Amino acid sequence: MSAGSLYFKCPDNLTAKKFLKKLAKIVTLEIVAQEYMCKTFYDSFDSLLYTHNMICEFNHSQKQSNMCLIDRKLGHMIATEMVEDMPRFVGQCAEGRIKKLLVSSLAMRAIIPLCHLPLTVYRLNILNKDQKIVLRLQLDAYDDLNHYVRVLPLKGYDKAAEKMLSVLQAQWHFKPAKSTALDDALKSMNQAPQSYSSKFQLKLTPDTPANEACLHIYLYLLKVINKNESGVIEDIDTEFLHDFRVAVRRTRAGLNQLKNVLPDNELAQYAEFFAWLGQITSTTRDLDVYLLSYQDYKLILPAEMQADLEPFYTLLKQKQIIAQDSLVEHLTSDYYQDSLANWEKYLNSSVRKSTKTDMGGLTVKELADKRIWKMLKRVLSEGAAINHDSPAEALHDLRKTAKKLRYLMEFFASLYTPSDIKLLIKSLKQLQKVLGDFQDYEIQEISLKQFKKELKDNQATENTLLAMEKLVTHLEHQRGLAREKFADRFNLFQKIEHQAQFQLLFAPAQKVKS
Amino acid sequence: MTIIASYNIKGGVGKTATAVNLAHIASQKNHFKVLVWDLDPQGATSYYFRIKPKVKGGSKAFISGTRALDGLIKATDYENLDLLPADFSFRNLDLALDGHKKPTQRLKKLLAPLKKEYDLIILDCPPNISLLSEAIFEASDMLLSPMIPTTLSLRTLEQLKKYLKDNKLNHLTLLPFFSMVDRRKKMHNEIMRDITDIYPDTLKSVIPYASDVERMGWERQPLGAYMGRGRSIDAYRNLWNEVWLAMNA
Repeated sequence: MSAGSLYFKCPDNLTAKKFLKKLAKIVTLEIVAQEYMCKTFYDSFDSLLYTHNMICEFNHSQKQSNMCLIDRKLGHMIATEMVEDMPRFVGQCAEGRIKKLLVSSLAMRAIIPLCHLPLTVYRLNILNKDQKIVLRLQLDAYDDLNHYVRVLPLKGYDKAAEKMLSVLQAQWHFKPAKSTALDDALKSMNQAPQSYSSKFQLKLTPDTPANEACLHIYLYLLKVINKNESGVIEDIDTEFLHDFRVAVRRTRAGLNQLKNVLPDNELAQYAEFFAWLGQITSTTRDLDVYLLSYQDYKLILPAEMQADLEPFYTLLKQKQIIAQDSLVEHLTSDYYQDSLANWEKYLNSSVRKSTKTDMGGLTVKELADKRIWKMLKRVLSEGAAINHDSPAEALHDLRKTAKKLRYLMEFFASLYTPSDIKLLIKSLKQLQKVLGDFQDYEIQEISLKQFKKELKDNQATENTLLAMEKLVTHLEHQRGLAREKFADRFNLFQKIEHQAQFQLLFAPAQKVKS
Repeated sequence: MTIIASYNIKGGVGKTATAVNLAHIASQKNHFKVLVWDLDPQGATSYYFRIKPKVKGGSKAFISGTRALDGLIKATDYENLDLLPADFSFRNLDLALDGHKKPTQRLKKLLAPLKKEYDLIILDCPPNISLLSEAIFEASDMLLSPMIPTTLSLRTLEQLKKYLKDNKLNHLTLLPFFSMVDRRKKMHNEIMRDITDIYPDTLKSVIPYASDVERMGWERQPLGAYMGRGRSIDAYRNLWNEVWLAMNA
């Protein structure tokens, strides 16, 4: 059987009745089932399934309901499972092929409904003279869209499938489906799959004035904030708040690191606003992270102690609900809405683009070279000053500086050869990983001690307190390991080849200290 | 993946009905991906599934390796259940095997590539004890042996046990069970009791002699496809449960 299309879009005006009548004239046909149902398409907010060429359907009829994954390009069914309701998160799926496929595509994103389509599904068997089934067909007759036919060949009966494909294409002029019912439905609603990505992907041209480029960067980040805002308020999944906060942090990094490009006095009030925004979102995010890590925490403990951690989960959940309510209150406040609206107005004001500042006259490439080079030198000097006896604060400061460098490199990545900048970002990421782990373990250690105290105050059992203590000890150990890794990782980052690449890219005219 | 041979030295004891019905139950109840290989040139299994007993190139083609077994498989009308049909040339399978190096290992080697695709392979075997039977014993994990409760059955079972022992086929689990049993016959009941006393590992499930099973030839379908409940289908379901337990023992 050749690997051609097995999924066809029926011509306009072809009703199910006409199709079945035509088919019955040329083959022995058995209608196995005729079922009226509602098909709901699902994806994540950022269309991760669509990007992975998958379509997720929930088919619900009076008799049954199932969840299907379809290959978006070929129309083949990849996997199907009987379910009563659609799970909201991958973790709620039953173990099996669907869960395996969704985990790798969706991670922690929620599966949200896109559109509902009523249809009648006809399951058809084509029989030979012995009344043996030699081919199966499925006709999806949508109430409001073109119908689709799926040819389902049976092993060992290739000729029957080839004959049917030839009839459909050569005689009846059915076209292999280039789109799906999902595409048709979205098109009819003037919608398209989200083109959203959490990665910073703004294309800048080197000779753009620096102030104009900065406005584009801030506007891009503002769009990300706006896109994620409702998801944060509705608490759809934890990624909305994550992406929202990253955009806020990037904006803050821009306001701090790209000084004198736009008038600093005009930006001061917004710097204050974004600092506030970072602050009011942090508690909810921290609790989200603890809740997401809860299963990992359990696995740190011996099996017989894992159930003792339940009160910790309950405490986290209670706190998260309170923090989320408070966050929603902030994000629906006049201060938030007015400040964000003013920021947008400010950025869009074309007058600002020509405002004279010290750095505003530079091209964006000149600004990028200057700022990245300066920050790189700071990372190298702060890192080199750290030895075995340095306090934890020194590593935390270096982590912050490295993060600033990373944001600058991402803002201006489009100005450099992609392979070069990617390589340098990769080596910076590896350094950041060790620094991030060190910081995370320390913060978790402190927080878990605090949670333990609260649990004790809430009359938690000795076993629960013991389980918490075990986690703290584990985190302490992990922090020590991360600390030990730092020297090697920093040496790798500061090795002369990397520095030469950095210099070649950002400061070709200057000398690097070896 | 498990390979089960439905086998008895004697003919007409219900091997084919066992192979067809257990394959259908395993595929529908346990959602196992099942392949039945109709090795009997009479092609009764193929007939029950309405599939032509014809294999491209005959037995020589796959025994020699010019055709892979996978390309000869046909889907049945049932989800997760495929068939490797019989062919009239299978009457000479012994000869075809004999012309090959290590003939008793040949079936095992041919089936090896199918292990990934199927959870269970059931071999519906022709009666007799021959070179083909030896190749079947080497390839299989279990020998499911239906026997009609007659005096000859005890003798046949003893012969089979001795053969397996003499040939050191220790990997093979022998699962004898009673088939085509008429409870109204005193002799059937007495022989069943005697054999079970001598061989307590005889399976508990008893397949009755029933017109429902005979109807399979008329319906050309496994029992479970045309009847939901009944003495015969329930007996095959019980038999499958026992086999399944033995597979997981």
